[in-house]
Amino acid sequence: MHEMGIAQNILDIALNAANQEGATKISRINLVAGELRGLVPMQLTFCFSIVAKDSIASGAYLHVEEVPVSGHCNDCSADFTVEEYNYLCPKCGSTRIQITGGTELRIKDIEIE
Amino acid sequence: MKINVMQDVLQANDRIAEENKRLFSENRNLVLNLMSSPGAGKTSLLEKTAEILAGKLRLGVVVGDIETTRDADRISKFNVPAIQLTTGTACHLDANMVASALPHLQLDKIDVLVVENVGNLVCPAEFVVGEDYKIMILSVTEGDEKPLKYPLMFKESALMLINKIDLLEYTNFNLEEAKANARKINPSIEIIEISCTKGTGLDAWINWLTAHHKKKMDVLPHA
Ligand SMILES: Nc1nc2c(ncn2[C@@H]2O[C@H](COP(=O)(O)OP(=O)(O)O)[C@@H](O)[C@H]2O)c(=O)[nH]1
Ligand SMILES: [Mg+2]
Ligand SMILES: [Zn+2]
Repeated sequence: MHEMGIAQNILDIALNAANQEGATKISRINLVAGELRGLVPMQLTFCFSIVAKDSIASGAYLHVEEVPVSGHCNDCSADFTVEEYNYLCPKCGSTRIQITGGTELRIKDIEIE
Repeated sequence: MKINVMQDVLQANDRIAEENKRLFSENRNLVLNLMSSPGAGKTSLLEKTAEILAGKLRLGVVVGDIETTRDADRISKFNVPAIQLTTGTACHLDANMVASALPHLQLDKIDVLVVENVGNLVCPAEFVVGEDYKIMILSVTEGDEKPLKYPLMFKESALMLINKIDLLEYTNFNLEEAKANARKINPSIEIIEISCTKGTGLDAWINWLTAHHKKKMDVLPHA
C-alpha cells in the first residue's frame, strides 16, 4: 500500500543526513512509528530494501520502533496506553479522552560508516 | 558512527502541502480533503453539492482515482471544473499530485475546492495536501466499528458524514454506536447524517460548508 512511498521518503532523509557526514555506507536506520499510522513493519522493511538497493543504504537494517497509542483523560487526568481499540480511561471509565501519542512517524537516528 | 536525525518522514510532502496552502489562500479558496472507502458516496456528494451551490459558491474538484476519468466526467456535467488524477497503483493523493493538478484550474474563479481522495480508509489520512479541513464519509453499508479499526482518518477529520441513511433499515449499522466510536477517537468531530440519493441532511452539510467558507474568508486579508 503506501509503504512504498514512505520507504522512499525514509531513504531520501537518511541519504541526505549521511551525505552531510560524508558517509560511504548506512548500516542502520532507527524509525519511530506510531501505531495509529497503521504501518506494517514487515512490509515497510521489505519496501525499504527495494528502494535502497542501488544506494549507500543498500542492505541497511531498518529498525521500526512501534509506539503504542496513548491517551490522557480529561476527567481524572490519568495518562495511559490505549489497548485493543479500547478508547476509554482505564482508571475512571470516561470516554472524554485525548489521544496524545501514536501518530508519530520519525527517523530518530542512523548508523553510518 | 551514530548520527542524530530526528526528522519527520513526511516532511517533503508537508513542505509541498504548505506551498499549495499558500496558493489556495492567495486565491481565497476553502479547500477540503474528502476521504472514504471506495463507493461510500464521495462523487455522489459532490454532484449534489454542485447542484445546490450553483449560483451561490463556485465549486472546483480534484479527484484521484486508480482507474479512468469517470468521476471527473460525472462532476463536469454540473459545470464544475474537475481535474482527474489517475493515480495508477497509488492508494492516496499526496501534496505533489495535487500540486500537479493546480495549473489546470483557474483557482481565482473557485470558492470551494474539494479534493476527492482515492477510496481507501487508511492511506489518504497520512498525507496532507494543503487542505483547510479533512472531511470523511462513512456509509451505513460499511459497519459502525470502522472508527475503531481505522482510527487515524477519524482522528484527522473535522467532519464525518454518515451517508446512505436511506439504507439504514436494511443493515445492522447502529448510528449511535458509530457516532460514539468516532467520538472516542476524536471528541470534537462533527457528524451529519445524510442520504445523497434521497437528499436527506444535505441542508446541514451545505450549512457546514458555507459557514466554514465564510470563516476562512473572514480571517484572510481582504483582496
Ligand atoms: N442508497 C444509496 N446509495 C448511494 C447513496 N450515495 C451514493 N450511493 C451509491 O453508491 C455508489 C457509489 O457512489 P460514489 O459516489 O461513486 O462513491 P465514491 O466511490 O465514494 O465516489 C453509487 O452507486 C451511488 O449511487 C445514498 O445516499 N444512498
Ligand atoms: Mg468517486
Ligand atoms: Zn479518567
